[in-house]
Amino acid sequence: MDELELLKKDWNKDTAAYKNYADSDLYPMLHKKSFSIVKTLFYISLAELGFWILINILPYFLSSNYKESISKSYENPIYMSISILSFLVIFVFVYLLFKSQKSISSTDNAKKLMESILNTRKVIKYYVLYNLIMIFITIPLSLYFEFNQNIAFHNQVEAFNSKQMLLLFGFVVLLIGVLLVVFWLFYKLLYGILLKRLNRNYSELKKLEV
Amino acid sequence: MNKELEHSFVEQLQKHQNIVHKVCRLYTNNADAHNDLFQEITIQLWRAFPKFRGDAKFSTWMYRVGLNTAITLYRKSKRRINTQEFDAVEFKIKAEEYDDTEEQQLKLLYQAVHQLNDIEKALVFLYLEDKDYREISATLGITEVNARVKMNRVKKKLKTILNP
Repeated sequence: MDELELLKKDWNKDTAAYKNYADSDLYPMLHKKSFSIVKTLFYISLAELGFWILINILPYFLSSNYKESISKSYENPIYMSISILSFLVIFVFVYLLFKSQKSISSTDNAKKLMESILNTRKVIKYYVLYNLIMIFITIPLSLYFEFNQNIAFHNQVEAFNSKQMLLLFGFVVLLIGVLLVVFWLFYKLLYGILLKRLNRNYSELKKLEV
Repeated sequence: MNKELEHSFVEQLQKHQNIVHKVCRLYTNNADAHNDLFQEITIQLWRAFPKFRGDAKFSTWMYRVGLNTAITLYRKSKRRINTQEFDAVEFKIKAEEYDDTEEQQLKLLYQAVHQLNDIEKALVFLYLEDKDYREISATLGITEVNARVKMNRVKKKLKTILNP
C-alpha cells in the first residue's frame, strides 16, 4: 500500500488523542502575546524610522554650533531643498510601510502572504539604502559648505599640500566606506536571521514554478 | 471587539480545534512546542476572524490561517526543532529496524514526515485531510499541476527516507 494512504488511515482515526480544550481554556488564549514575524518586522521598521530621524535631528538640538551652521546653510537653496526632500521621503516611506503592513493578511494563500511580508521588508530595505546614500552625499557636501563658510577651516585646507589633501580625502572616503559597510553588514545579518525560514520557504514555492 | 464575536469564535474553534492540533502535530516535535504553536494559531485565527465572512466553511478557513501561521508567521524558534536542520542521523531509519508490523511502520512514517521541509509538510497535511488538488493549490498559491508534481516528489522523498 502507498505509504501516505496508510498514514491517512491512521491520521483520521487518531483524533481522540489530542487535548480537548474547553471554551474556558480558549478565551484567555485570544488575548495572549503573539510571536509573529509581522509584529517583529513592524517594531523593527518603527525603530529604523525613529533611528534615522533621530540621527538627522539630534545634532541640531545637541550642539548650538551645529544649530547655527545649519540655520545658516538653510539660506543655501541646495541645502534647503535637500532638507525638504528628506522630510518628504520620510512621509513617503511611512505611507508605503503602512500600506504594505496593511496588505499582510493571514487569510491569503501561503505564497501571497510570504510576498506581502517580503514586500514590507523591501520597503524597510529601501529606506535604509536611501539613508546610506544620503550619508554618502551629505558628508562631502557638508565638508564643501564648511570649506566655503568657515574661514579658519578654509585657510587650513588651503595651506595643505597635496599629500595632506590626499590624506583628508582618503580619510573621508574611508570613514564613509566603513560606515556604509558596517550598516550594510548589520542589516544583512539582522534580516538574514529574521527571515531565514521565510526566504527558504518562499524559494521552495518559487522553485515549483520553473 | 465585542463579546458576541468572541463567543461565536470560541464556540467554532472549540468544535474544530482538532484541525489546529493536527497542524501542530506535523510542525512540532514536543508537547511544549505543540502548545505554543496552538496558542499562536489561535491568536492569528482570532485576529483574522472579523474578516471571516462565512462564505467559506469555518474549517476550510482554519486550514489556511493555521498553515500560514505554522509556515510563515510563527517566529518563536527557541523550543522548535527546525525541520531543515533536523538531525537526520538521529532519526535515520535503518533497514534492519524496519519492522513489518503496521504500528512500527506508522511510527517510522511519522518520523519520516517530520523530516520533510515546511512546504512538503503542508502538502502532506492537506493530502491527509483529504483536500483535493484544487484546494491544495489555492491554499499554497501554486498551480494545480505544480501541486501534483510536488506531491509526487514528496511521495518519492518519503520512500527514500523510509528505504535508504
